[in-house]
Amino acid sequence: MTDLDTYRSDALNWLESVAPRFGREARIGLSVEEDLALGRQYMAERHDAGYSGINWPTEFGGQGLTHIEKVAFDTEEMAFGMPTGYFGISLGMPVPILMRYGLGEASEHLDWVKERVLKALRGEEIWCQLFSEPAGGSDLAGLRTRAETDGNGWKLNGQKLWTSWAQYCDYGVIVARTDPAVAKHKGLTYYWVDMKAPGVEVRPIKLAGGDSHVNEVFFDDVRLEDSQRMSPVGGGFGVAMATLMIERYVATDSGGFGPHLDLFVDLMRELEINGRPALSDGRVRSAIARNHAMRAGLESITTRAMLMMQAGMEPGPEGSLNKLVSVRSRQKLSEMAIDLSGTSGFHFDPHAPQKQDWGSSWINAPTGRIAGGADEMLLNTIAEKILGLPQDHRPDKGVPFNQIPA
Amino acid sequence: MSMLYDEGHEAIANESRRVLDARMDKGRLLSLLECVGQYDEAFWSTAVEQGWSALAIAEEHGGLGLGLLELGLVAQASGAGTAGAPFLTPTYGVAHAIEDSGDQSARSAWLPRLASGEVLASVAFAEGSSPLPLKPSVQFTDGILKGSKSSVTGGLKADISLIWASIDGVPALVLAELAGAKRAPVESFDNSRLLADIDFSGIAATLLATGDAAQELALDALARMAVVTAHEQVGGAEALLMTARDYALTRKAFGQPIGAFQSVKHRIAEMYGLVEIARANCIHAAARVGQPDFLVAAADARLSATEAYDTAARDCVQVHGGIGVTWEQGLHLHMRRARTLAMEQGNMLFWEDLLVEQITGVAA
Repeated sequence: MTDLDTYRSDALNWLESVAPRFGREARIGLSVEEDLALGRQYMAERHDAGYSGINWPTEFGGQGLTHIEKVAFDTEEMAFGMPTGYFGISLGMPVPILMRYGLGEASEHLDWVKERVLKALRGEEIWCQLFSEPAGGSDLAGLRTRAETDGNGWKLNGQKLWTSWAQYCDYGVIVARTDPAVAKHKGLTYYWVDMKAPGVEVRPIKLAGGDSHVNEVFFDDVRLEDSQRMSPVGGGFGVAMATLMIERYVATDSGGFGPHLDLFVDLMRELEINGRPALSDGRVRSAIARNHAMRAGLESITTRAMLMMQAGMEPGPEGSLNKLVSVRSRQKLSEMAIDLSGTSGFHFDPHAPQKQDWGSSWINAPTGRIAGGADEMLLNTIAEKILGLPQDHRPDKGVPFNQIPA
Repeated sequence: MSMLYDEGHEAIANESRRVLDARMDKGRLLSLLECVGQYDEAFWSTAVEQGWSALAIAEEHGGLGLGLLELGLVAQASGAGTAGAPFLTPTYGVAHAIEDSGDQSARSAWLPRLASGEVLASVAFAEGSSPLPLKPSVQFTDGILKGSKSSVTGGLKADISLIWASIDGVPALVLAELAGAKRAPVESFDNSRLLADIDFSGIAATLLATGDAAQELALDALARMAVVTAHEQVGGAEALLMTARDYALTRKAFGQPIGAFQSVKHRIAEMYGLVEIARANCIHAAARVGQPDFLVAAADARLSATEAYDTAARDCVQVHGGIGVTWEQGLHLHMRRARTLAMEQGNMLFWEDLLVEQITGVAA
């Protein structure tokens, strides 16, 4: 066994030992608040066991290992359905960026940052990422929330949108416009914000599937100290990009975070089409085979990327295909599973887990195709960054933000 | 076998691409389309000279003792240039079936000569729409064959053929010298494949395996060839992807390169996705040869590679507009080859059914 195999099997042993208390089965029937409380408890135990902040420096409460161990652990953990969703963004982007850009010029905020990081790792505090707005999603630099100088600090006004878990968050990182008279990318500045501060209002948004993990967040004259600034004035876009690039290699799921193909096969075993087993139907066989080939390809891309990293090589850019390809395939396969279920296909449980239930997978699939880079933006990225094709025509390029037609 | 290419693999990939770039000639390939009975002999002599015919044959039989990963890289380079000739893949399939049959005299009679390229091999499994029929119509009785197969790739010039036949209703895998066989050329959209209808009646053959053993051996040979072909398809698809990309960067319309229009750039980005998924499946399959899950891996590779090459052939021509459908521009070489390769070694339906049977246990 390699060191990584040993690491993986130790991790699996630990996960199996706590799964009865925190895993998928233990969470059935819990309210969101109860589930979050269970999640906080899990995070504390996970940190005690040495499986949190796996690739973070030990001085911040991490384990000082590499992203290879982190991806290995995350991949194993994903199979258990642990209540980690509330902390995914927090630990994925805002907190790592805080360690990098929040220390101050002379590391004067080091102790404060260390305290935040530790509490975030243990699930005691949660951070959100306040980027998207009504006027700026894919076009992030089109955002309108503004920060104006106010004495020796700043005053924040505006609205953010689609902010995951904001209703449970203690802190957030935010990009705001500090200079509307320059081109849109150049007038932005990056801060952290206290979500409990006066003037911050969070309103949950009910999504099509019925749950409310995303929010609108309003800022009404919210006071920011200059020490909360994490970028040079006007240099916020660069830190925002660094935030989005921070985890280039994450645990992926060739099932698009929907049900595994085995579950589709199991369903087909129970069904008949024209009086014959569904698995004998050519259309069903074709769907299974095509999805298998696609998912196997994505898995081989991931396996090769992991091997390359272990060998000290830089993995190829093909890893960026995963979300694009897997989520839209999951959407179609979920439709087919519902259709083929016939009369029982109408049954819908809005609280069923997306990775087990075709109805839940189907109704929530559009979110997956939009959040974290819409399909169209991912195609643009492949075309421009990998294949070297030209950028789209952008009429607002170089135009001062306040002169772009609204 | 690792799924990571090492320096040796990189060298094979670069060298085969370099040699083919230097020697392939689009004009020659175009002229081959318009005559029946000729193939790209220049490619085959290059293949023999470079040791590609010997690549995956054991050293004790005069080969180089490498495997499917390495041959796959050569096939990929050949596919990029629509080279490949009709003998690269069958040579490997036939050699492997002979080797695995355990027949010592067949091994010593044929393997060294297959490795050296002096003997040309073909595979005659398919009948009608079935790539590997349950009850092959060609009969093998008392050492003599009776019956015929249609559209055998390389059949016009092959010296030997690996034939899927029946002995008293039981399937059998036999090897025959074709000197006495009656062959009729098949006019095709891809004439350099040397397709022939072959009547084997009256010629002698050597029995390699019968019954379940024959089924297993034939399926393994077909799957191995399918993985070589899948690499060839990936090479072709990748070449089309890059051709489309280059054209979209240089061709201007409405005041900008057409690659700046999302309808064009997204089409090309989608091609990239199909190519990379197929490539990953091909590497995985080549690394799993000989393992219990090889058939599944081969089916994954075959299905994704066929989809990639077919889509790339359609879309690359579309990106080119009118120039893409001209004879001289030559994109139709890829269109034709994509169709040929989609049918050789079993079509999509065959591999879909085989894959589903492997993972569910339910036959079609």
